[in-house]
Amino acid sequence: MAKKKQEGRSRRDFIRWTGSGALALGAASGPFFLFPERAAAQQKTLKILQWSHFVPAYDTWFDGTFCKQWGQKNNTNVIIDHINLVDLSAKAASEASAQKGHDLFMLLSPPAAYEKQTIDMTHVYQEVEKKHGKKIDLGHKSTYNPKTKRYFAFSDSYVPDPGNWHKDWWADAGFPNGPDTWEDLRIGAKKIRDKSGHPCGLGLSQELDTSMAMRALLWSFGGAEQDEAGNVALNSKETIEALKYMKALYQESETPEVFTWTPPSNNQAMLAGRVSFVANAISITRQAEREHLPIESKIMVSRALRGPVRRIAAEHVMDCYIIWDFAENKEGAQQFLIDYIDAFHDGFVAGQFYNFPCFPSTVPDLKKEIASDPRATPPDKYKVLGDVLDWATNVGYPGYGSAAIDEAFKAWVIPTMFAKVARGDETPENAAKAAEEEYKRIFARWK
Amino acid sequence: MAIGRAKIKSVGAAQSPLLGAAMFTPAVLYILLLVAGPFFLAIFYAFSDARIGNTEMHYVGLENFRSILKSPSFRIAIRNSFIFTICSQIVVIVGANILAIALEKTFRGRGFIRFLILLPWVAPIALGAIGWKWILDSIYSVISWVLVALHFYKPFNAPMWLGEPHLAIASVLLVHSWRLMPFSTVILLAGRTAIPKDIPEAAAVDGAGFWRTQFQIIIPMMRPILSVAVLFGLIFTFTDMTVVYILTAGGPFDSTQTLPSLAFAMGIQGSDLAAGAAISLFLVPLLIIIAYFMLRVAHRAEVN
Repeated sequence: MAKKKQEGRSRRDFIRWTGSGALALGAASGPFFLFPERAAAQQKTLKILQWSHFVPAYDTWFDGTFCKQWGQKNNTNVIIDHINLVDLSAKAASEASAQKGHDLFMLLSPPAAYEKQTIDMTHVYQEVEKKHGKKIDLGHKSTYNPKTKRYFAFSDSYVPDPGNWHKDWWADAGFPNGPDTWEDLRIGAKKIRDKSGHPCGLGLSQELDTSMAMRALLWSFGGAEQDEAGNVALNSKETIEALKYMKALYQESETPEVFTWTPPSNNQAMLAGRVSFVANAISITRQAEREHLPIESKIMVSRALRGPVRRIAAEHVMDCYIIWDFAENKEGAQQFLIDYIDAFHDGFVAGQFYNFPCFPSTVPDLKKEIASDPRATPPDKYKVLGDVLDWATNVGYPGYGSAAIDEAFKAWVIPTMFAKVARGDETPENAAKAAEEEYKRIFARWK
Repeated sequence: MAIGRAKIKSVGAAQSPLLGAAMFTPAVLYILLLVAGPFFLAIFYAFSDARIGNTEMHYVGLENFRSILKSPSFRIAIRNSFIFTICSQIVVIVGANILAIALEKTFRGRGFIRFLILLPWVAPIALGAIGWKWILDSIYSVISWVLVALHFYKPFNAPMWLGEPHLAIASVLLVHSWRLMPFSTVILLAGRTAIPKDIPEAAAVDGAGFWRTQFQIIIPMMRPILSVAVLFGLIFTFTDMTVVYILTAGGPFDSTQTLPSLAFAMGIQGSDLAAGAAISLFLVPLLIIIAYFMLRVAHRAEVN
């Protein structure tokens, strides 16, 4: 009987209690319950869009710690949306066309094409530099337009693009410290391929990692897409030498799988114990550590390979934040970036050293920190990245990351040129000539 | 009496111009907003210097068309658009006819087989393409795994389905055919069941064999419905970018690029809206010609 009574009461009282509760909550919320627009006037909103980080722990810190604390401190509701890196360009295009979207938009390559729709970031850089000193040249050249003298984006960090190599196989091939030069790569990769069948994994596809690896090769041999003044300079004897090298490397040590790859493919191939060498960020080794894969201790990291002219590689990705002209909370977005740099060291640690700072003073002991990482086997695996600024550069080197360079990058002109030669579908001379014509066509459209 | 009044009322309502307009309006709005609007915008962009990041644009005449005609990727895209469209339609029509003949007969489990055949059409195309991407993957391909397990290939030398240009083209063709086959099969099956049974029976009595009945009686009678299947198939394939985008992203080195995928790559990813619009306009005259011929064939068959 008592039970029955209790059941009856619970049904009726449920509505009563919830109703009273809602009213009490409304009363406690004061006038905002009845006039929500007043509440909105009090609290601002900041909408951020960025990629789903390759190291998920970074997103956990960014969303759950930094943005949460910043929102509380600045009485702002921070809304963060993460999307796949390959969708960033299309999403940015749709926001620019609709003239509506996020206040802060992060892209992974210099978004010079959007300059006329973004606010000048000079003020943000100035504020940050007051506290943290000068930015690195890589950050400057990726976000500055020397013609308009405007910063169309703000770069907090870049990601190094080292080599990843299989320790045992390279030791067997006579390179216990891995390849140091492009010539080492060719000799060692061929020995490994001949002995065990494991191919080299330098991509030749229309995707990000290939684009960066092929630029590193091109620059190391002395070639470049443009000169310092921004004139197309692709068709050169240095470019032709780089093309000849890639053809030899492909034919001696690679398989056609490299033509099919998407950005995660070389990670998968390396972690599957299939390939002997890839050029990629440290996402490969970080994934191996996170998932406790046995191959983790076998994969080592190397500096950019040295070519006949120099040791150089592109940044793997360049964090570039833009604030749209039509953003609803421009002030909040700028302040967010300024404050974010104050907390950059926490992000560097949370991201497991994936993103390196554009303001070096934010991570003053970078060399020491990366030289001893308890997650890695051996702990000094990432020590080689200590001198990354000596060899990392921007897309568009030796010039700036202009809108034309960005379009040529996204049209995959460089990977296509290398792939055609590697397969033997084009001679190096003809491929360099055709690619230069394509560059000139694109550059002419942005004059 | 009551039924008679209801009938009169119903006819009257159907003839009401207001009701007709109200029922017609959604279709008109749909065409204006989602077809005509973007179409005229594309024409506008194609003759301008529109860029994604720019808020202003200027008239540039035929400059965009001149520029893209110089692009080797564009020439490959034109070629591929025709190859994929024509070849996949040949495969689809032949395959759909065979399936329709098989499914016309009554047999145990026919409903289940029809359901399985319809699945590729019902499933979202992106989902199907991702499934195929994994089946043809360079590292985890189940086909390659089987071929290696059966010792047809050595472990590191299995075919790279999406890595060799001719295999990649064949793979894209395969996926297009796989996707369109159910649609054509259903249409042809409906067409076959609509043919009075006494016609093929009479042909059989007159001594016509299977092939003769098919090619001289059934297929000619199905020409209008075949035209519909081909028309839809051509348009779906010619304008589709999902399969190429997901499967190969236009690679290896642009060898599977099509007009829609190149328009997306240049216009949206490359920020050059004008070039993207100009490329997409190349689809229009070809689609108009296809539609005109197919509708003419259908109309003639209807008159006859």
